[in-house]
Amino acid sequence: MSRALPQASAVKIRADMDLCQGHAVCKEESPSVFDVDSASNKVVVKVARPDESLRAEIQRAVKFCPTRALRLEED
Amino acid sequence: MSAVPETPEVSTPSPATRARGMAPPVLSRGWPLLGHLQELRRRPIELFARVRRECGEIGEMNFAGNRVVLLSGEEAQEAFFRGSDEQLDQAAAYPFMSPIFGRGVLFDATPEQRKQGLRNQSLRDSFMRGHAEVIAAETRGMMQKLGEHGEIDLLDFFSELTIYTSSACLIGRGFRAELSPEYFRVFYELEKGTDAIAYVNPYLPLPAFRQRDRARRKLVELLTGVFARRARQPSEKRELFDVLLSLKQPDGSPRFTIDKVTGMFISMMFAGHHTTSGTAAWTLIELLRHPEFGARVVGELDSLYADGRDVSYQALREIPELEGAIKEALRLHPPLILLMRKVMHDFHYKHWTVPAGKLVAVSPAISNRLPECFPEPDRYDPDRYREGREEDTKLFAWIPFGAGRHRCVGAAFAMMQLKAIFSTLLREYTFELSQPPESYRNDHSKMVVQLAQPCRARYRRRAP
Repeated sequence: MSRALPQASAVKIRADMDLCQGHAVCKEESPSVFDVDSASNKVVVKVARPDESLRAEIQRAVKFCPTRALRLEED
Repeated sequence: MSAVPETPEVSTPSPATRARGMAPPVLSRGWPLLGHLQELRRRPIELFARVRRECGEIGEMNFAGNRVVLLSGEEAQEAFFRGSDEQLDQAAAYPFMSPIFGRGVLFDATPEQRKQGLRNQSLRDSFMRGHAEVIAAETRGMMQKLGEHGEIDLLDFFSELTIYTSSACLIGRGFRAELSPEYFRVFYELEKGTDAIAYVNPYLPLPAFRQRDRARRKLVELLTGVFARRARQPSEKRELFDVLLSLKQPDGSPRFTIDKVTGMFISMMFAGHHTTSGTAAWTLIELLRHPEFGARVVGELDSLYADGRDVSYQALREIPELEGAIKEALRLHPPLILLMRKVMHDFHYKHWTVPAGKLVAVSPAISNRLPECFPEPDRYDPDRYREGREEDTKLFAWIPFGAGRHRCVGAAFAMMQLKAIFSTLLREYTFELSQPPESYRNDHSKMVVQLAQPCRARYRRRAP
């Protein structure tokens, strides 16, 4: 990423919509970051750049996603 | 790894306008009319391996006039699993399932009907703890019949157990309470009715199909009795099937017939039954073939449960040795060996095109043993899944549950179920194979793979 200013958070989430099946495990692990859209039954990442303090719970969401649809990317 | 497969052409705005590529190579030695159908019915895995050997990552088979293009290799499999519903239709690909579910149920319904159909809520994460409790209780129920020592047939034992667990968890406990052991035999007959000769016509007057239809009629009959009993006792807690049967059309007539509800129940239980039953049996067989891993699993369970914690708690958490053993059984003995889709719009892969009307397929039996994805692919090695290796994270290669949007929705439930079963069983009993280790094998003569009988094991209650 070619940003001039440093970002507040280095945590970046990528969701693969071909893989997501709406099991909502991510929402259980990290409710402030993830939701599941009831119409599409797919994950919604509510915060694109979540705060560093949420890293541990986001890592659990990534790890326990039953379809491994989530990825954590670093800048 | 999860990038969209690259396409060689650069100026391709949408798949619909893309120029046609080459036709995939056609597999040799097809018979007149039947093509490779007999080979499919006798040695399916050898047939799929021959496609990869002779044709490479894409090759066309012929099942009695149905052209099925088999894709293999991580990249080709990813293209298959990333196909949209509009392009690759899952339901149209399984003609042998329609007579089992019945008219208007699941694979015989239009995509629109399916969208409006039943969305089974029972697989939600929040129900899992209750399910684990039920599964542990059902396993204990089966163990009560075992006594101190004796011998079981693994197919019969796990088929019966998983009929109880899947009916209790996926349909309802009141419904489960109505089931006797005869159901699992009837269900087994139904599963045996999936002869690939259905590609010619699923209603041919053949013994396997007559048996299938008889089994289905028997199930309708059994359920009619269950429903009648339930109707006489309306005070009981209402469950899914009470609701389904009480729904009325605007004119007052029943919304669903008993035949249709039976079909719905079969469809809800079918996917979770022979798959889980077979995986339980293979997990145990492989642990007994490799006693060093067996000892590790039993040791792990003994220490995890030493503090008296409940199966309903632990089965939802990590049990690494046992999970490795289950995953390795799934990799080597996937319950489904051919996943198919009907091509609705021309399907392009690299410089090939599969035209609309044909089928495309992926075989977990081939994919799970690709040497470039799984080092020493034929070796039983539950340590593949330990931290640092995690070979099951190759999402489009390790595919006992499929991948992508149609990945088995019951995968998490199935893993939990197997963990609950073995947490209960292996802390109480030890097992040993009654037959030569190499004599255990799958029967591949039907599209639904089952353990070939005999498949017996001896057991003894562990010293307290």
